[in-house]
Amino acid sequence: MGGKAQDNMAEDLNWAVGGEAGDGIDSTGKIFAQALARAGRHVFTSKDFASRIRGGYTAYKIRTSVDKVQSVVDRLDILVALTQRTIDENLDELHEGSAIIYDGERSWDAEIPEEMTAVDVPLKSLAEEAGGAIMRNIVALGAACEITGFDVEYLDEALEKRFGGKGSKIVENNKEAARAGQEYVQENYDLDRLGYNIDTTDNDYVLLNGNEAIGMGALAAGCRFYAGYPITPATSIMEYLTERIEDYGGHVVQAEDELSAINMALGGARAGARAMTATSGAGIDLMTETFGLVATSETPLVIADVQRSGPSTGMPTKQEQGDLNMALYGGHGEVPRFVVAPTSITECFWKTVEAFNLAEKYQTPVFLVSDLAMSVTEQTFPPEAFDMDEVEIDRGKLVDEDEVDEWLDAQGHFRAHAVTEDGVSPRAIPGTTDAAHMSTGLEHDELGRRTEEEDERVHQVDKRNRKVETARENEDWDYREFGDPDADNLIISWGSNEGALIEALDYLKDDGIDVRVISVPYIFPRPDLTEEIEAAEETVVVECNATGQFADVIEHDVLTRVKRINKYTGVRFKADELADDISNKLAEEVPA
Amino acid sequence: MSSDVRFTDFKSDKQPTWCPGCGDFGTMNGMMKALANTGNDPDNTFVVAGIGCSGKIGTYMHSYALHGVHGRALPVGTGVKMARPDVEVMVAGGDGDGYSIGAGHFVHAVRRNVDMTYVVMDNRIYGLTKGQASPTSRSDFETSTTPEGPKQPPVNPLALALASGASFIAQSFSSDAMRHAEIVQEAIEHDGFGFVNVFSPCVTFNDVDTYDYFRDSLVDLEEEGHDPTDYEAAKEVILDADKEYQGVLYQDENSVPYHEQHGVTEDMSEIPDGAPEDAMDLVREFY
Repeated sequence: MGGKAQDNMAEDLNWAVGGEAGDGIDSTGKIFAQALARAGRHVFTSKDFASRIRGGYTAYKIRTSVDKVQSVVDRLDILVALTQRTIDENLDELHEGSAIIYDGERSWDAEIPEEMTAVDVPLKSLAEEAGGAIMRNIVALGAACEITGFDVEYLDEALEKRFGGKGSKIVENNKEAARAGQEYVQENYDLDRLGYNIDTTDNDYVLLNGNEAIGMGALAAGCRFYAGYPITPATSIMEYLTERIEDYGGHVVQAEDELSAINMALGGARAGARAMTATSGAGIDLMTETFGLVATSETPLVIADVQRSGPSTGMPTKQEQGDLNMALYGGHGEVPRFVVAPTSITECFWKTVEAFNLAEKYQTPVFLVSDLAMSVTEQTFPPEAFDMDEVEIDRGKLVDEDEVDEWLDAQGHFRAHAVTEDGVSPRAIPGTTDAAHMSTGLEHDELGRRTEEEDERVHQVDKRNRKVETARENEDWDYREFGDPDADNLIISWGSNEGALIEALDYLKDDGIDVRVISVPYIFPRPDLTEEIEAAEETVVVECNATGQFADVIEHDVLTRVKRINKYTGVRFKADELADDISNKLAEEVPA
Repeated sequence: MSSDVRFTDFKSDKQPTWCPGCGDFGTMNGMMKALANTGNDPDNTFVVAGIGCSGKIGTYMHSYALHGVHGRALPVGTGVKMARPDVEVMVAGGDGDGYSIGAGHFVHAVRRNVDMTYVVMDNRIYGLTKGQASPTSRSDFETSTTPEGPKQPPVNPLALALASGASFIAQSFSSDAMRHAEIVQEAIEHDGFGFVNVFSPCVTFNDVDTYDYFRDSLVDLEEEGHDPTDYEAAKEVILDADKEYQGVLYQDENSVPYHEQHGVTEDMSEIPDGAPEDAMDLVREFY
């Protein structure tokens, strides 16, 4: 796909900064991404990182264009390399048009392939002149501006945002550092932008990642209580909410472990709050103990699983979509649930809002399944993509004191688990007069009291399952569709692969391959894809795991075989690579 | 309901299935009296119970209640209280629930100092599973799973609480109905986490820690003139392995409960019909 990559070069720039963990790589990258967003350009970022605070290669990568970008590609144009390893790790993505900014005064002798442009800038010395060696990365950003012809004033805006709270002196020093880098390249190199072109627009974009979108969705949806235990890559949801939830009268508590976190959230929900916890697969393992209780006590609860590579400790800072089976089937006994998997960062917001409504309308736990790639990726959107006026709150059958009477039995007991036609019972929260009742993980009667009576058992099991059937009928469980709706080739995906697939469409089209893409955000209940698969000649299911958990589910639903593309290297799909994979897979013999 | 609440209002019409003579009857009665005496009513009270004989208490009491999974009652109570500071939260459990499977939660609930009450029915045995050693069983206590005794010292829950930074530590005896109810009432009235370990004898499986044993050995700290606000004096009685004490062993007069430390005062169940009015500010933050 090299030819295509070169064609894209004018409008589409791939930039990265890399070094050792602890070198400030993340904040440097974020500043540049914000500068690009201020310039009205679209940005899509990704991170290579290791699970440690200091030491180990880490990089922050930015793909930017005036058009929407929603995937990474296998190409790197400008690289700020603080270490040799940064260069070595990215050799496959670097090409003859690439420029590498490095500091030749530092102790390592940079080995840069001849065909690339080496831009030796004394980052440390220039930073020291501007006020401190700590700003060497900012010098590099200034140098990058000069190489690409990007107006350094946008960088100023980003520096003001980043350092404004630390006083004007710090801001001014950083601006000076950026200019020192810019001027150094201007005076010492004649690069003529290497053919790159950083156009700007008047658009105002916001820049945020998937976890921030989940946190924002929770606040918009009225989540007021969050209990969690720190775990990569879910922690930033907790951090987002900690900073803001008190402005809305809510609270975040850091529990002693995930066992406690889900039980605290359960308590908050039973007390009437919209409550949430978030973790990653290893934490879901622990929370599974209480998951059945949440479901059988019919407590509305949102549980976010920001997936990372497993099993066990696995690769804690790497991408994987390996928890689908756990979300669908985890826990002993038969546990009704909803499983929703946002397919993009905007959908992280909207599906979180929806998850809270589903939880309360059906008094059922909802798994919100995201993943590491989406959690760390920052992407630009027009603010209207998160139009708060569109947020609807539906609290379901939450009864007030006037409605309690109709749900009392002859002895005046509140029927918290009343067997109803739609399966949903009235819900009363503490403080509601005459509705005091208990609930339990034991099988129970309508009043919430233990029973082992056969009819009661069957009534309650059927009632809980009926809620899911009611939801199946009353809610939209649609998929998202891209590409050519009439194409013979059908590609199915779930979760965060959507962006890479949309961009892969262009590469495939160039190669004369038309495909229809179905991106599924609802795992349970889920859309019935029988007609779509039967209408296609070839179906390929794309997912970031080794065994094809979603493909298994689809095969079971449709009673047919599908082809599979599975990536479990720990790295998300890239658009160009995925286009190649699809093209190859379509050419394979149909599986038996 | 209002001031005319009687303790029997906290009683459900379900007959307990505890063995006749079980200490849990007395423990529960004292809890109900203490709740009524402190001006609570079933509609503003939330009882959380774990698993074991003690866990059945939510069924036999009348209030909002959740009977949860084994050992996690304290986190549930914590969540209820944080979301609804206006609700009276009482958590009940046994020695297995609180000091074995739930020991980690006990330590952190104690140091979090949420304003709720924790009543542990300590019978020094696993009753519901028909007689195995519990974390408070004596080291030579012979059971089906420890034929020669556990051969390890019992957990001292009072010392565990003190070491975890407790603000209120008490112990009572289910059979001394008046004192037990008084002590639980003090725990409810305490500004913070009120912990009461209740000797609640198992008449079926524990023939050592019996009613007679406690009646003969119990020392009432009130009669001894113990000052619970004196930390050193508290430490002495808590670490005294030779005696069984009844009363408030320790109370921090300057206890600041979690909700005051963290400014958690709002009823979180009330939310607007749509996104909060200024919610677009959340989006604009990301410019």
